[in-house]
Amino acid sequence: MMADEATRRVFPTEPASHLRPRSRSVKSLVSTPESSFWRTFRSSTLHPSYLHLPITSLSFSPNSSLLAAASSTSVRVFSSLSLSEYDPDFDPALFATLPLPDLAYSPSFRCDGALIAAGCENGAVRVFDLPNDKPPKTLRRLNAHSCASRVVSFPLLDHKLRLFSAGDDALFVQWDLPTETPLFSVPGAHRDYIRAGAPSPVSPDVFVTGSYDHTVKIWDARVDSGASSVLSINHGHPVESVLFLPSGGLLATAGGNTIKIWDVIAGGKPVYSVETHNKTVTALTLAKVRDDTRLLSVSIDGYLKSFDFSRFKITHSMRYPAPLLSVAFSPTGTIRVVGTNNGAMYMGIKKKKDEFEDQVGSDDFAWSVPLPEKPTSRKNIRYFKRGQSEKPSEGDFIIKRPEKVKLKEHDRLLRKFLHKDALVSVLKTQQTTSIMAVLEELVARRKLIKCISNLDNDELKLLLSFISKKATQPWCARFLMDLAKCVLEIRAEDIRSGGPEMAVHVRNLRSMVAHEIQVQRSLQEIQGMISPLLVIAGK
Amino acid sequence: MIVGGQSLVTSPPVFSHDGKKLLVCTGCTVSVFSTTTGMLITELEGHTERVTSIVVVPVAGTVGTKFSDYCWTASLDGMIFYWDFSTPDLLKKVNVQLPVHSFVIPNILSASLGRSDKASQNLYAFISVEDANKEVENGKHLHGSIQIYDLTNSTRAGGVLAETHKPETLAISKSGEFVGIKKQKQLNIWRVPNKNLKSVNMKKLKLHHTRTLSCLAFHPTKCIVAAGDVSGRILIWRGFGKMRHSQDGGGKMKIDMGDRPGVRGEDDADSCSTWHWHSSEIKFLMFSSDEAYLFSGAKEGVIVVWQLDTGNKTYKPNIGSPLMYFTDSPDPSLSCVSCEDNQIHLLRMPSMDIIKSISGIKPPLILSELQGDRSRVTIGCDRSIGFVALPTKDYRIQFFSLLDGTDISHLQVIERNYDPVDETTVFISLVEVSDDGSMMSTVEEKLPEMGIGGLISLKFWIRGSHTGQYTLSTIIYEPHNNAGVSDMAFCPGRSMAVSTSYCGNFKVWVNNSSFIHSGDEIQEKGGWRCQSVSSYKEIPMTAAAFSGDGSVLAVAAETKITLWDPLNNVLVAIIGDSLGPIRQLAFVGSSEYIMSFSSGTKADLVVWNISNLSTHWSYKLLVEDICCTRSETRVAVLALLSSSDKSISTGKDGMVLVFDVENPIPVSTWFVKKAKGGRLSFINNKLGEATDGKLLLAYINGEHNYVLFDPSNVKEQEDLIPKSARRPQSYAHDENVSHGYASIYGELPSFDLTKARSSDSIPFVSSERPWETIFSGSSHALPPLSKLCSPFLESLLEKAEKQTVLSQ
Repeated sequence: MMADEATRRVFPTEPASHLRPRSRSVKSLVSTPESSFWRTFRSSTLHPSYLHLPITSLSFSPNSSLLAAASSTSVRVFSSLSLSEYDPDFDPALFATLPLPDLAYSPSFRCDGALIAAGCENGAVRVFDLPNDKPPKTLRRLNAHSCASRVVSFPLLDHKLRLFSAGDDALFVQWDLPTETPLFSVPGAHRDYIRAGAPSPVSPDVFVTGSYDHTVKIWDARVDSGASSVLSINHGHPVESVLFLPSGGLLATAGGNTIKIWDVIAGGKPVYSVETHNKTVTALTLAKVRDDTRLLSVSIDGYLKSFDFSRFKITHSMRYPAPLLSVAFSPTGTIRVVGTNNGAMYMGIKKKKDEFEDQVGSDDFAWSVPLPEKPTSRKNIRYFKRGQSEKPSEGDFIIKRPEKVKLKEHDRLLRKFLHKDALVSVLKTQQTTSIMAVLEELVARRKLIKCISNLDNDELKLLLSFISKKATQPWCARFLMDLAKCVLEIRAEDIRSGGPEMAVHVRNLRSMVAHEIQVQRSLQEIQGMISPLLVIAGK
Repeated sequence: MIVGGQSLVTSPPVFSHDGKKLLVCTGCTVSVFSTTTGMLITELEGHTERVTSIVVVPVAGTVGTKFSDYCWTASLDGMIFYWDFSTPDLLKKVNVQLPVHSFVIPNILSASLGRSDKASQNLYAFISVEDANKEVENGKHLHGSIQIYDLTNSTRAGGVLAETHKPETLAISKSGEFVGIKKQKQLNIWRVPNKNLKSVNMKKLKLHHTRTLSCLAFHPTKCIVAAGDVSGRILIWRGFGKMRHSQDGGGKMKIDMGDRPGVRGEDDADSCSTWHWHSSEIKFLMFSSDEAYLFSGAKEGVIVVWQLDTGNKTYKPNIGSPLMYFTDSPDPSLSCVSCEDNQIHLLRMPSMDIIKSISGIKPPLILSELQGDRSRVTIGCDRSIGFVALPTKDYRIQFFSLLDGTDISHLQVIERNYDPVDETTVFISLVEVSDDGSMMSTVEEKLPEMGIGGLISLKFWIRGSHTGQYTLSTIIYEPHNNAGVSDMAFCPGRSMAVSTSYCGNFKVWVNNSSFIHSGDEIQEKGGWRCQSVSSYKEIPMTAAAFSGDGSVLAVAAETKITLWDPLNNVLVAIIGDSLGPIRQLAFVGSSEYIMSFSSGTKADLVVWNISNLSTHWSYKLLVEDICCTRSETRVAVLALLSSSDKSISTGKDGMVLVFDVENPIPVSTWFVKKAKGGRLSFINNKLGEATDGKLLLAYINGEHNYVLFDPSNVKEQEDLIPKSARRPQSYAHDENVSHGYASIYGELPSFDLTKARSSDSIPFVSSERPWETIFSGSSHALPPLSKLCSPFLESLLEKAEKQTVLSQ
């Protein structure tokens, strides 16, 4: 019956977009490459301790095999390999627990991952080694801080004997590990607690500290200039976290609900300010997204946001059910961990390999000459299948087979002019928008009344149950009220003799109408109250 | 100066002998299109009436004739012309004296004009002519007749072959052996003898059917004829005419009554089979060039391919419009199909893919009585470009350039599958384009079925990078609840629009959308929102217009005009009353005048003065459309003549008047045809330097034929207007026009020139109750008392008379 319509566009009855006001959030649901990347993470929850104590800091070892989490009086070290097969009932993921005398802060791995250092509430800084088979043992105890040593960090570059620490006593120290002595020490580096610090990715001697006195200072251990820093930047809020961006020339600082990017080389010039969090931003970290780098920030408002600092744009955001205090992203780009203030850690572990990463991997071999393909003999089945799975390369001109129009069941029936069947089939799907679209199409074809009078009893029940459910929904009420009236008029006889099920539908309809009348009446009352106010306001 | 908009599908098009050109009848000219590009190559101008049929002379062998293109054309003006359409030159004129509706030349292959060797025969044509003056015989009106005409000697050859009720279309077999017509429920077929073509030795063969036939086609080689009837059946007669034609003159052979399936009565055929798929009248039948298939088409818009031997059928692409004609070319891989929506599609043959489309202006949307409301064709006053936006039947808008006469683009407004068979229940009722063409709004209506499910929605569109490319900005469902939208207007220079409705309110819409650059694409946020809703005494609002600077909004509340400040939504003033509900409003340039007209029984055209809120002048005319220039004070009015008028008999039912708004005497006047549903618009002239800077007036008549001309250039217009009106009209006749001057006394009297002259400078108030309004307005604008007194008293008298009539 139907002619080939290859040359013309076919419009399905849906989307009957007029049935619903367009929602504004539709745009955000549109999949971007970034959101699809983040969607490849499988999320799970981990409670390192059964106490609901905040997880103040998280850190991955540089080779990604270990994750350290500071909570209560210990630093727990997890093996990230076993994290990926984490079983919530049994806890084999725990690799080691590092005991500390007081509340633990800021675990930091050395660049080779062999040592770990952590600060403590009483000011002590401990350095542990992490042998694979034996329990960890304390190697060094560094005592200089009189208050909590909140910032402890190994340099990022290959300098294994140095350690930076800073604390609430506003003291900043660079340690020589073997001798446990401070090499470079700045008492009163800030005028308030130092709560943030980060080593430079380009020099082992450069370190940045951020403090509650709103300033961020950059120190160079090679320049012994007393208490004055190389560079001082005013962030404007108490600084919670600082971070060098990979080039070492840009600095990200977080404090209050803003994140600011500074150009260090240009003498601390502000580059950009991000104000998308609603509450204090607590931690920053870098994440590898495919072949790009993002700045991840977490905040008390429970959002994790991914910021593309090359385009200065928020590319993705995730919501967590608790205030977030810390965040870490594994250097391999496969694990994402956030720590909350109630002791839960939310992990995202990458489920599958991105096709993008495959491409990146293959890039390494791009210089090599591809081997000539082995000629397949005619006996081999591959000979007959050759070329079938060939992918077009970039320069190829692709001739596409005309796309087959995918039609839903009711659309197919409508194209065959089987109007009643289409109505019944769409009623069975129970999708309101589809049903409304088909009903409207039937009206346009002048076939609705005929359809209604041709429905048999079971189909009539379907229609009645739909009407009795949806008749008073605002966006389809105008249509369905008229329809309900019409159905009741045309099929009065069948409804009366239709048995108890039909009666239930009619009763539902009646109670719905009664309820709607009630609603309308109260709305009118409200209108009556408001309109004099509006008249007065108009004058 | 520019005439266009002719229908391409009044008659079947014809291919040239090499298939490179397509000859299409377009009004009084024949347009020659290239089949490779679909562009117009040349036009054959010469006929003074509609051209009805074309016969292309095939290349006869290779007898030293130079490569050339010759054709014969016939027209309703009773002339048959012979053309060389490659140059194009008119070579020969033959006067038949009767309107020719169709003609064929059977022996065109063997005979050729211009060859003087004695072997060549005279060229004979079968012509189907209309003789309107023929007497009524036996109570039958036989207007049409089939005759043979000797084209070589320009004489009639013999008598009348057949007489029909109305002129019929002739069909001819490819070899020229058979010529046939349909004659109500029968087919008449003649075999053309090779020599000595005279009407006396022509034998007529009749094939009967029970229904009225609509078309016929001959098989290229065999004795097979196919005919379609009005119910959609296709009848195939095989082996017709074997008996009678083979033994002409001899004694009648006994007809074997047995073994002739399907053949009725004593019809001379071997068998007759019937195929039925189409549900409506068959529009064309055509045998394929390989003789194996039969193509048929009807209203469904689907070409059905029947296998001749088995009757199996396949369906070829849905063209999406009722089909009219199918023509095949000498090139077997090319053919064309004409559609009712004024398009000719060139098809690649075996697959029937559309290669190119030649599209003319879309025919007007005809709504049945049920739909009631006027459907308007709106001229997009994009004055620099001069295009019109026309709603089409298949839920689209066609953008048509009047200056170039070409179709620019199509825009799908309603996302719905169009089926030509369905009655129109969803349609675009209003299209409005803003002055600069950057914004467009459409109103679509869905008619309810027994009161269920009607929907009116308003869409705003924003122009893209090209002309005629619009993207949807906002959809507003049920802009005025259930009530229909009566008019839309855009504010010049601002993103503001107003929609008026029959439910008694109007809404001002503003576009405060911001564009967000997200990555590569631009997202639009916001869109059109309702800024304010206003009403005036709950009277239905019928028309709206913005002043040239956008500071004043005039909305017609039936008979009154309300003036608003659109930004603050404040009613500024009211001008009252016109005689009937106002249909359209227009501000006259930057002057202080506003023009309105109303239709119905109390039709009038009024120019109002805004500064003193009074009538400036008025006419009692049935007006179809008005348009004003934005800068000057000229206005153009399209008026319909009342049926009593004498010029109706010549087919002219309307006139275009150009006024200077200060003066009620028209500057110039033209009579036009088919003014019902016509539209007027001023557009900028971008062609020619001679008329540079002047506005052209575009007039589109009810059948979407149009003419563009410079209204100030009187000399040229005499040349031009006859083309649109088809008959010369002397300018002296134009004096007649002022007859429409409205008098306040009842029905329109016959024209009285002196009276109009004497009172033309007086602003008149025409109203049903003049004694109420005659003295309104400021004192300096009132006419002198001596002028006012008599109408006032007479109006009182008339009132009294009416009352007495009533009391009786």
